[in-house]
Amino acid sequence: MSSRAANPDARSWRKAYGLTLSLFAVEVALLYLFTLRFS
Amino acid sequence: MNRLDYLVLIATILAIPLYGLWRTRGSASLGQYLRGDASIRWATIGLSVLATQAGPITFLSMPGQAYESGIGFIQNYFGQPLALIAVCAVFVPIYQRLKVYTAYQYLGERFDQKTQLLGAFLFLIQRGIAAGITIYAPAIILSALLGWRLNLTIWLAGGLVIVYTVIGGTKIVSITQRYQMIVILIGMAIAFAVAVYRLSPDLSFGNTLSVAGKMGKLEAVNFSVDPHKRYTLWSGLIGGFFLALSYFGADQSQVQRYLAGGSLKESRLGLLFNAGVKVPMQFFILLLGAIVFMFYQFEKPPLYFNQPAFQRAMESGYAPQLSQLQAEFDKLFAQKREAIRALSTAPSNERDALTNKVRDLDAEARALRDRTRTVLVQAGVDPKSKESDYVFITFILQQMPHGIVGLLIAVILCATMSAMAATLNALGSTTAIDFYRPLIRPNATDHHYVLAAQALTAAWGLIAIGVASFASLVENLLEAGNILGSVFYGSLLGLFLTAFFIRRVTGSAVFFAALCAQMLVFLLFATTNIGYLWYNLIGCAAVLILAPILQATLFRSAEASAGV
Repeated sequence: MSSRAANPDARSWRKAYGLTLSLFAVEVALLYLFTLRFS
Repeated sequence: MNRLDYLVLIATILAIPLYGLWRTRGSASLGQYLRGDASIRWATIGLSVLATQAGPITFLSMPGQAYESGIGFIQNYFGQPLALIAVCAVFVPIYQRLKVYTAYQYLGERFDQKTQLLGAFLFLIQRGIAAGITIYAPAIILSALLGWRLNLTIWLAGGLVIVYTVIGGTKIVSITQRYQMIVILIGMAIAFAVAVYRLSPDLSFGNTLSVAGKMGKLEAVNFSVDPHKRYTLWSGLIGGFFLALSYFGADQSQVQRYLAGGSLKESRLGLLFNAGVKVPMQFFILLLGAIVFMFYQFEKPPLYFNQPAFQRAMESGYAPQLSQLQAEFDKLFAQKREAIRALSTAPSNERDALTNKVRDLDAEARALRDRTRTVLVQAGVDPKSKESDYVFITFILQQMPHGIVGLLIAVILCATMSAMAATLNALGSTTAIDFYRPLIRPNATDHHYVLAAQALTAAWGLIAIGVASFASLVENLLEAGNILGSVFYGSLLGLFLTAFFIRRVTGSAVFFAALCAQMLVFLLFATTNIGYLWYNLIGCAAVLILAPILQATLFRSAEASAGV
């Protein structure tokens, strides 16, 4: 596979990782808000 | 449990393996037996990875952990999404490209055979013991509460897993785990709904959570930097990251799950699915424990949740002391219930005083439980498993409707079977590929290695059952698994990270660095009291620091590997 052909694939995986990280950040933020609200 | 419960239980735990056997009928090549086949998609991989990690302890002990200490345990999972992304980006492409059967084959290709054997050995010793705990944990509790014979429970659950794992290999493990995990998720969702429904009508759900929070049960995030605190954001993010990185990157029981897919894409999607759902899933399981805690603030709980041990002490001459404690507990419970009712409706200027009163009464109740335990020890019925492990199962047996009880017992057994199947599959594969093939029969046919892997899987199953017979020495089942992993995983991960990122290091340097790191972790474990998650970081960092030093000094003449 040429590097030009591989790049879009690598880019889409980077996006997927970014999305997963963002989801995790939201989860931690929600847990923190939950702690503030109920502790 | 009545007939309906037994019907639901038996149908659930038998139907899934039978379906798996039907799906995997016919002979398999070595590749299919150890790596599954291309038909396995990301959803199956994702559920299989989830089921392998969850295990019965998650569903038995974790609600009890929240009941006892609150939901702060959730922070142990904070490193996991980050680790899963790192595994997707670094580990999976290498394993998929090299088409390895086990993760330790990569160490052999990158370094040398002794490093491959060391990695495989660290995995086998840790997982071999953990497999015993996996089966012992539910067996001891179910046998005590349901009157089943302990050894029979261990042999029946373990025997069924051994049979289908030996016959079907990796593919049957993935297929059965998918359906077992679906049963588990449905069962836990029903348990959550019933627990909320059974809460006292005196308080709204919001008020219930507020009171639970005031009683210290709902602190999900703690920013403390004290290394002696077991659950903090930092220990979860850093220590948890290294634990998860070792577990998902270097533990064959997980590597085998995500390599079961046909492609890199399926493996990665399965892991990212886990990165997204793990924290919410664990949160709801822990919250379920906090809800059970609130349920028992209005409905009187037993003085001691391990009722079989309590009854044995009553019958062995300790009835007067225990009756006295029971009377004190009954009085305290009534006072606490009234204080909680008052707190839930109190104006804001009275809340602090009432909160302190409720907390004091709760502390007194816990002290009474400790005194009860002391009496049980004096009576010679020393309960080896932690009392909190009995909380959720007691709630299930006493408060859930029939049918659901059977389903939830099936959930616990499904979790046991799925975690044990993955472990046995990995132990058998690793012994066959990393030890048997290179050291004993290097040039046999594929069919011979399939038979060897099957025989070794069965042998590990029998060893796990043997370990389960001695597991009564372990007090806290939930912690035991994580502590055991943390003690061994750091140096194992160090081997892999050195392989990936420090190209000039050769086999001998990393081999002795890993041995020294393991000794260091053993020493710290025996002499200090630091939170166990930190062992992952310490063991890994020790290998990463020592390996280049040894390479530059003792092993300078060795030719540096080109790296893979």
